Amino acid sequence: MSWFSRLIGGAKARREVVLLPEQRQALEAWHSLPATDLHCSHNRGRYVVVDVESSGLNMKKDRLISIGAVALNDGQMDFNDAFQIVLRQNQVSTHANILIHGIGGSAQSEGVDPVEALLAFLGYIGKAPLVAYHAFFDQSMIDKAMSEYLGMELEQIWIDLAWILPDFFHFRMDGRVALDDWLQHFEIENILRHNAVSDAYATAKLLQIAIARGTYKGADSPASFIKIEKARRWMHESR
Amino acid sequence: MNNSATEMLVSATIEFLRSYPPFDRMEPEALQFLGEHVKLAYYPKDALIISPESGVVRVFRILQRGKVLARQAGEISLMEHSILTLGPGEGFPIGSVTAQRSSTNIYTALGDVFCYELSADDYFVLMQKSPVFNIFCTQYIASLLSQSRQQLQMQFSQRVAEQQTMNSPLSSIIKKEPLSVTPDTFVREVVGLMAARSIGSMIVVDDEQQPIGIFTQSDVLKRIVLPGASLDIPIRQVMSLDPHTLPLAANAYDAALVMAMHGVRHVLAVDEGGRLKGVVSERDLFTLQRVGLRQIRQTIDSATNIDMLLQASHDVRQLSLNMLAQGVGAEQITQFISALNDTLTRRIIQLNLDRHDLFGIEWAWLSFGSEGRDEQTFSTDQDNGIVYICTDIMDREHTQLRLLEFARDVNSDLDKCGFPLCVGNIMASNPALCLTLEEWEEKFDNWIRTPEPEALLNATIFFDFRPLFGQYNLADRMRLSLLRQTRNNPLFLRMLVENAVGVLPPLGKIRDFVTDADPEHPGTIDLKKFGSRLFIDAARIFALAHDVPATNTVQRIKLAAPLMNVSHEDAAATIDAFNFIQLLRLRHQHSEQTQGREGDNLIRPDDLNEVERRILKEAFRQARKLQQRLKLDYQL
Repeated sequence: MSWFSRLIGGAKARREVVLLPEQRQALEAWHSLPATDLHCSHNRGRYVVVDVESSGLNMKKDRLISIGAVALNDGQMDFNDAFQIVLRQNQVSTHANILIHGIGGSAQSEGVDPVEALLAFLGYIGKAPLVAYHAFFDQSMIDKAMSEYLGMELEQIWIDLAWILPDFFHFRMDGRVALDDWLQHFEIENILRHNAVSDAYATAKLLQIAIARGTYKGADSPASFIKIEKARRWMHESR
Repeated sequence: MNNSATEMLVSATIEFLRSYPPFDRMEPEALQFLGEHVKLAYYPKDALIISPESGVVRVFRILQRGKVLARQAGEISLMEHSILTLGPGEGFPIGSVTAQRSSTNIYTALGDVFCYELSADDYFVLMQKSPVFNIFCTQYIASLLSQSRQQLQMQFSQRVAEQQTMNSPLSSIIKKEPLSVTPDTFVREVVGLMAARSIGSMIVVDDEQQPIGIFTQSDVLKRIVLPGASLDIPIRQVMSLDPHTLPLAANAYDAALVMAMHGVRHVLAVDEGGRLKGVVSERDLFTLQRVGLRQIRQTIDSATNIDMLLQASHDVRQLSLNMLAQGVGAEQITQFISALNDTLTRRIIQLNLDRHDLFGIEWAWLSFGSEGRDEQTFSTDQDNGIVYICTDIMDREHTQLRLLEFARDVNSDLDKCGFPLCVGNIMASNPALCLTLEEWEEKFDNWIRTPEPEALLNATIFFDFRPLFGQYNLADRMRLSLLRQTRNNPLFLRMLVENAVGVLPPLGKIRDFVTDADPEHPGTIDLKKFGSRLFIDAARIFALAHDVPATNTVQRIKLAAPLMNVSHEDAAATIDAFNFIQLLRLRHQHSEQTQGREGDNLIRPDDLNEVERRILKEAFRQARKLQQRLKLDYQL
């Protein structure tokens, strides 16, 4: 069991993580979930659209404050399958930062124990592919927290709509399109900008659009989205 | 359930739904249920959302964003009227989800479309939870109806504005620019102006156009002629000071109140700066008041000659038009017209009784046809007759002659008052329709026993009789014997049914409507012959077969329905359909008459708007349903 050896202490020197028996059990249960078939059609599977709020934009120094997520089940957004959690912070983020996401000092210090929060998140996402816009940031923040609190490397599949959408809609090709531009283009409303759930909700609507377009163009599964993303990245880097 | 996230998404959904009917009126718990149970789906441009081929509709959708095109399936050409565009907040397809059948329409996305989707199971739970939603869905047709009524209202709103009531602001009553003079004008000049313009009063204003005095016709007598005052004095010496003023926005009631309280005949309307804008006289208000239900009745009841009644009959039309414009339903309007026409007819009969001595005769004036059913429209000719009792056979001829002479005068007076003489001579002055009770019974009896085409036609006119004046109990006796006869004659009823189902509702197989039934008027549908008549004929059969004494079609359906195990909803749908057709007829007749044409019943479906065409189609479907029921009941 490779994950177990990693848990005990893999190649890199890692901070020792001590989990309670129930927590370890939960983690094991998650690991033993079957992997998702990425070749299964968009409309026969589950996606989890994720958005995080953090203490800042420095991926090395800044901390994960909150995760919001909405799932697409068989292509439809199910509000009962949504997730939001605030991780307990020992040190409250700056005032300027609070103004962005609106998670106040007391909410931060009254948040859920990070280990419990991340276990809950794992339980929620299962093995579903994760989707975000400019996913690198969300992925880094979540991976960092997973490693720090659960001592694990989360090797979840991530799909970045920032790479996928330009392949389907050629309204701006420079690759530096902001989420808000797409939302505006498709007239998608955002309930509360910079709220993790609301941003995930808006991003999920973009995913629905991408899925419909992808299916029409023959890209009808997560695997084909991953392929598109890879090709685009390669093109971008080789330019 | 992890919940702050779900809560937020659900409450955003509820927030959205709440800005659209019927969700804006929906009970909070039901709305919460809806918000918690919908899923959000996306459809790209041109995506097929529902089609008849997709089978029984298992999902109710509420449009969140974008537009959806609904069009009738199976149309050869995409005719404009069969297309409907749905926008945010609209739910679809209500009919097919409720009935758990496949859709008759094709729904496609016109652009990016997001839909809230609710499973049929949850849809039915919601219907149970929410009376508001339930009513909205089950009375879908009715809500379409009210929509069309609103459109009708808008169409007539211009006219309503012209039709003044006591609520109208003074600004709308004032027709003429006010005439005024300065205080130093000589009386001679003022009186000269008043005579020249034939006005009853002159307003005296200061340099700022603010009224400071008034001088009326009666002042000429009291203050100039009788005291022998000179005509060469300034008007300010003889005018009444401080005339009563009201702001322009005040209404006719306010003006009437001022006049009543201060015993004056004129009120001045002024603008915000107190400047004179017009004069409202007692006479102006009087003309406003004339066209009112109570006023018309009073005019009729106190009329002493035909001319006065003629005026009243004009007023009846005027008021019915007002009611039509105010969105009053067809049932009420036709009953109202019938009621006032009844009053009018009774007054004409009374006036003629002064000239004809019918003392000692027991008789009653009968109405037939639409008048007998209380369903008169704007164009109605006379359909009437007389029933009387003759105790001595020797007196019969003489009695009938007296009645006929009287009837001739009444018929001619009715004609003068706007009820043209009946072309088919269905009038009391026709000896064949001025009969004793026994003769009427025998006549009915013959028709029922030998239901030849002629007899069946007669039945559709005469069996809808109603007493209007005289001994009502004579008509009651006629009704009793009629119902006894029909009840015991299934053959006759069967023949009536055959006749009734012989005329099909003009629903096309390919096109929406059949509009070429009358070669002389292509593109039209006769809404009397192919519309109301289908309902009237069916209702008559229901009534005769189930001992229902009513003659009014709506009443007949309402009373017969429980006896026939027809649900309240089904009966209501039939009545709505009938009323809608009647409403279209009224509107059409009115517009014909305002253009100086004889009011007919030929409407052009192409002139109707989208909603009306759909409802008319549904109304014809209801007629077809009635006919199917008749065929089933009488095994045709």
